[in-house]
Amino acid sequence: MLRWLIRRVIAAALVVFVVTSLVFVLTHVFTDPAAVSLPLEASEELREARREQLGLKRPLIEQYGEFAFGLVTGDLGESFWQQRPASEIVRERLPATLKLVGGSVVVTVILAVPLGMLAAWRERKFPDHAVLGFSMAFISAPPFWIGYLLIIVFAVQLDWVPTFGSRGWTSIILPSVAVGLASAGRLAQMIRRAIVEELRQPYAVTAQSRGFSRSYTITHHVFRNVASNFVTFTGWEMTRMFTGYTVVIEVVFSWPGVGLMAFNAIEQKDLILLQAGVVVLAGLVVFTNLAIDVLRRTIDPRVELR
Amino acid sequence: MTAAAPAPTPAPETVAASAGPADDASNRLLEIADLTVGFPTRDGTVHGVDRLTLNVGSHERLGVVGESGSGKSVMGLAILGMVLPPGRFMGGSVRWKGQNMLDPAVAERVRGREVAMIFQDPMVSLNPLKTVGAQLRELLRRRAGLRGRAVRARCIELLDMVGIANPAERLRAYAFELSGGMRQRVMIATALACNPELLIADEPTTGLDVTIQDQVLTLLHDLSTELGVSVLMITHDLGVVAQFCDRVQVMYAGRIVERAPIADVFAEPQHPYSLGLLRSVPRVDRDDEELEGIPGEPLDRARLPSGCAFEPRCPESGDRCGQAPPDLAKITDRRWVACFNRSAPPS
Ligand SMILES: Nc1ncnc2c1ncn2[C@@H]1O[C@H](COP(=O)(O)OP(=O)(O)OP(=O)(O)O)[C@@H](O)[C@H]1O
Ligand SMILES: [Mg+2]
Repeated sequence: MLRWLIRRVIAAALVVFVVTSLVFVLTHVFTDPAAVSLPLEASEELREARREQLGLKRPLIEQYGEFAFGLVTGDLGESFWQQRPASEIVRERLPATLKLVGGSVVVTVILAVPLGMLAAWRERKFPDHAVLGFSMAFISAPPFWIGYLLIIVFAVQLDWVPTFGSRGWTSIILPSVAVGLASAGRLAQMIRRAIVEELRQPYAVTAQSRGFSRSYTITHHVFRNVASNFVTFTGWEMTRMFTGYTVVIEVVFSWPGVGLMAFNAIEQKDLILLQAGVVVLAGLVVFTNLAIDVLRRTIDPRVELR
Repeated sequence: MTAAAPAPTPAPETVAASAGPADDASNRLLEIADLTVGFPTRDGTVHGVDRLTLNVGSHERLGVVGESGSGKSVMGLAILGMVLPPGRFMGGSVRWKGQNMLDPAVAERVRGREVAMIFQDPMVSLNPLKTVGAQLRELLRRRAGLRGRAVRARCIELLDMVGIANPAERLRAYAFELSGGMRQRVMIATALACNPELLIADEPTTGLDVTIQDQVLTLLHDLSTELGVSVLMITHDLGVVAQFCDRVQVMYAGRIVERAPIADVFAEPQHPYSLGLLRSVPRVDRDDEELEGIPGEPLDRARLPSGCAFEPRCPESGDRCGQAPPDLAKITDRRWVACFNRSAPPS
């Protein structure tokens, strides 16, 4: 187990290294951070000066060395928009994003587990069809649109929660629902399918042949056996949240997280800050995957150690 | 698992409903009459069992033999009022001591308590994530109503009964830590946990080593005598039947084609299919003879002939055979055969 864990951590670190290097290549080889950060009509002298200032005149490999060293020591460069270290800004923004993803995962699981179980329990009956309908609606509605709807109904008309920002604990509810609904729809369907398939396994048939009801068999026999799938699916949804939904929803709700920061960095043409945001989000995705593997391994001894 | 409940037609005393040594109606535990279970497929509905009729008496060991796909497992589950999706009950009745097993409420009460089943594949029929002890305790608490100290004592007693050494230690084992034979013993223990009166054993020895097969069969035989449990032994192996059963029913294409005491079938099989089955069993006492298979293709269940299902493979088929399927008819006082060429008592 320990050796497996060490191997997994090394693999995760390698992935982070490759991804961040890719980000570096994209920002430094295919674009010119200095030019991007200046107005279009800026003179060539101005650009030269900016390049000098940002240390872009040095050999690429040297810049990359500095970038990589900075990553290891937690230095993500200097934001030219805010004129302070990007890592400082990211550190301020990170808790909000983590809170939002945490809230969204809670919403996802709270909705998906009972719905998925209900659908599997009443397979091909009315509740199953109803759950499928809701899931499809959740999945196909764009999160930003759900976000606006929620704001209009619950924040503007009913005035139950703030319309934007992260003031008070209630403010997290709407953005979490907006992010979580689509994930809940997908997860509910995955849970349903996993349970229905597992119910055909000989051990589940045996349990029912001993007189345990279908619902008892689902909750006490089958669910634990699909738990590792469940963890995997939930983890995938979480990585999806980091890389996509949170950015959109943070913008819609003016939620002061890394996603909104990255969005603002694009607006401000601050490539260094954008790069810092991407690196951190990528790191979170890799870390989530690592956590999934460890968790799966803990709850299901049959999961192979690869 | 769905248990659609068609109107429970009380089994009429047709010819087919009374047969064999369990004829004594007062002694009957299980009565299946005209049971049909259908599975929708692309080529139409396949009848896993087709107007099946069968009785089991108390303290009886009945064998059901038939080739793969003849509907043995479907029948076993149907006795418990269960059918795997997409199948459904399409007619007939299953009565356990007179109660309708196709009523889900009745079936759920009887399952595991009065009728228990052990399955084809011991390797995967135990819950992989629960210890042997957890699975037994769950049954004893929830199905047998035991509490406190009695639970553990009974667990040990059960494992001991099925011949597992160091029962206290084995209770902590997971299924994957046990050998195939061991797992089947645990399965038998879970089946016997609530003192059932009928044990359905669906090919309990497939996938086990020959020596282990023998041990498991002997164990089942001894337990059934000791505890007075009836056993419905499902197998494709006439050897198993010979060793284990008092009476046998031969199944083909979801129907019973012959039923008789075991000695009679071996001495003088009547249905052409039984004859074929018997010829394909190696026998120690007649090693000069070549082993024969049954000629023709195994049956395509989606395209049944309109007459007798065995007709295309039957060496004796005649004019009537292609027209309508023959009913199971009594040809001597101990023997029933579904064959037009045998309907008159042999002179
Ligand atoms: N889940 C299913 N879906 C579709 N058809 C099925 C299903 N289960 C059974 N059948 C049909 O019912 C027939 C009987 O199946 P069953 O499993 O009872 O055979 P069996 O006699 O137990 O065979 P084996 O010796 O291989 O276990 C099959 O030929 C098949 O056509
Ligand atoms: Mg079978």
